[in-house]
Amino acid sequence: MKISKSIYLFFLPGLLLYAIFFIYPTISALFYSFTDWDGLSQSFQFVGISNYERAFTGDTIFRKSIGNNLKFMLVVVVFQTLIALAFALIVLKNNKTTIFLRALYFFPTILSSVSVAFIWSFIYDPSLGILNQVLELVGLGFLAQNWLGNADIAIYSLAVTQVWFHAGQMLIIFVAGLQAIPDELYEVAKIEGANKWQTFRTVTWPLLAPSATIVIAYTTIQSFKAFDLVFAMTGGGPNNSTEIVATYIFDIAFRSYQFGYASAISVIFMIIIAIITFLQFKALRSDRISY
Amino acid sequence: MKNHSFLTPGILAIGLLLTGCAGESTSDTSNEGGEDSTQISFIHWRGEDKAVLDDIIAQFEEENPDISVEMTIYPSEQYQATGQRLLQDGSTGDVFTSFPGAQFEAIASAGLFEDLSGEDFVSNFDEELITVGQKDEAQLALPYQLVFNMPVYNKGMFEELGLEVPKSWTEFQEMADTLLENDITPIAFPGADIGPNQFMNSMMMNNAPDEDIFEKLQNGEETLTNEWWVKTLEDFQLLEQNGYIQDDALGTSQDSAMAMVANEEAAMLATGSYHMSALLGLNPDLQLDLMAPITVEESEAVYEGINTATFMLAVNSQSEKKEQAKEFIAFLSQPEIASQYANETGQHLTVNDVEYESEVLQNTAYWIDERTTRFQPRFLITNAQIEAAVLGSIENVLGGADPMTAAEEAQQLVDENRE
Repeated sequence: MKISKSIYLFFLPGLLLYAIFFIYPTISALFYSFTDWDGLSQSFQFVGISNYERAFTGDTIFRKSIGNNLKFMLVVVVFQTLIALAFALIVLKNNKTTIFLRALYFFPTILSSVSVAFIWSFIYDPSLGILNQVLELVGLGFLAQNWLGNADIAIYSLAVTQVWFHAGQMLIIFVAGLQAIPDELYEVAKIEGANKWQTFRTVTWPLLAPSATIVIAYTTIQSFKAFDLVFAMTGGGPNNSTEIVATYIFDIAFRSYQFGYASAISVIFMIIIAIITFLQFKALRSDRISY
Repeated sequence: MKNHSFLTPGILAIGLLLTGCAGESTSDTSNEGGEDSTQISFIHWRGEDKAVLDDIIAQFEEENPDISVEMTIYPSEQYQATGQRLLQDGSTGDVFTSFPGAQFEAIASAGLFEDLSGEDFVSNFDEELITVGQKDEAQLALPYQLVFNMPVYNKGMFEELGLEVPKSWTEFQEMADTLLENDITPIAFPGADIGPNQFMNSMMMNNAPDEDIFEKLQNGEETLTNEWWVKTLEDFQLLEQNGYIQDDALGTSQDSAMAMVANEEAAMLATGSYHMSALLGLNPDLQLDLMAPITVEESEAVYEGINTATFMLAVNSQSEKKEQAKEFIAFLSQPEIASQYANETGQHLTVNDVEYESEVLQNTAYWIDERTTRFQPRFLITNAQIEAAVLGSIENVLGGADPMTAAEEAQQLVDENRE
């Protein structure tokens, strides 16, 4: 069959959008990363690799923000994946209750980040917030914390909010993956005398690996890019304890007017995300089984 | 040197993505001037001033039928990320606003301010209050709104308890102890958001009366480990350890802190005069005034309070409509127009002969002429990363760190970011 060359025109709209919103900014960032442009002036100087040198050797906050990002990512990836999977197993069967629960769990995902930030800032408020009040009410007052004001725990408090915000989205992916597993395999496992854990380990999880790969990779990228929530809830404080790379890039570019340096950090950040995502894909790919 | 204007759309795209494309608001109140009318663009971030500015713009257009004003209000962060970048090609922001400090310095370095020195309307402003808009002896921007970012206190509560406004650090502590004895938190401190960057000004104003202190810090002549800053951090530590600020202050938002003062659980709000109207909205029975802590002995005190400009008016040097833009600023600086703006926004202004109508503005107007106030030191830190290091050291101390350790950590960041 002969394919008309005009078919390639159908790629153009998508390709154009991709070029404008990804390729072009990426190349721009790479270009600027070798300059000292302040983001406002009409001119700039090329500074070689000095922005990269500064990022790796002379910027404590950048290193701290990477550390905070990793803490945030680990908590979010582990808990968001486990919670989404657990809830997906609970609401797997199609009936009115589970469909309602799926919608309920998915609901936070449709909220705007600013609304979520507002809600959770109120929940975490040490004096007016409902979290500490509920803990007091049930006799667990000793667990009450300054959730966003304590530099030791603030990043984890943000991670909890992120999990609440996005777990429902991941639940849908898991439900779709679980529903695609043939019932016959469960019947075979039952005949073979496998208990629930053995069934999960040998049937469910291996066949869920493609979904898990998507969930984990997407959650990782999402947690690295959690700019709006962090920006609105803590602004990176107290004392940079919740500063993550995305908020730091914003500070450097738009508050410190060091656009060249911010571009260098962005490039490094992009490479870090790409490496972590690649490693995750590699690791999870080895778990895949097909029958 | 390279020209990069071809890359501006990319920068705007990144900025918009980072700020979540928060919506700006555009007002074009009139076009009665028709085709002969020259339209100027006025950009700023003061969403809360939209109604009064719409009305003022309508009056301006009536008085100047050949000029119309399109006002675009960006959310504050989006203004920083994208709004001011639009200044570069001159098509947007014939009149624009700037924060003092790092933003002013960056825009000045980029050459985007038109020099307003010598314009007649400059004399409409209080000359002592507009120096922050000057650079290299040129008046690049005109501070408009005047704010006292020093604690607001419950004057009625003080009178009931027989308390005087303290004139020294010793008296301040005695006052705070009396308030504590009466189960009142002396200071509501919104440490989760604006508390550190507002309260640092009055806490350090007399510990480091040298107005060039942060310039010296930035050029390496001073360090945060010297006495002026370590003492400031020790004073913060004392406030925290003695319970003069509420528990968990670093987790308290400004709304919660305001509620504490409005409910008379706390006597002072560590923000500024701009919150007085809102406090009265929450509790109309409050009698409010301003009071900065004097952290030295009375004989050593140089300053009684802090003043600042929340925004400065400027003309874009790239604009092709500079004369019309200047007409608009001249209009805003007329006393009767400035009075309307002041009274409808509940803020003091840097314009001369403004008539304040509200009781709270009248009662605190004496701070403009009769008190020795200092321009807020924080805005004299022109490097935003150094500013963040300074503020971070306060948060570090309030989080339990030793003041000298916090100062050393902050100084390391200052050294890394000094240009």
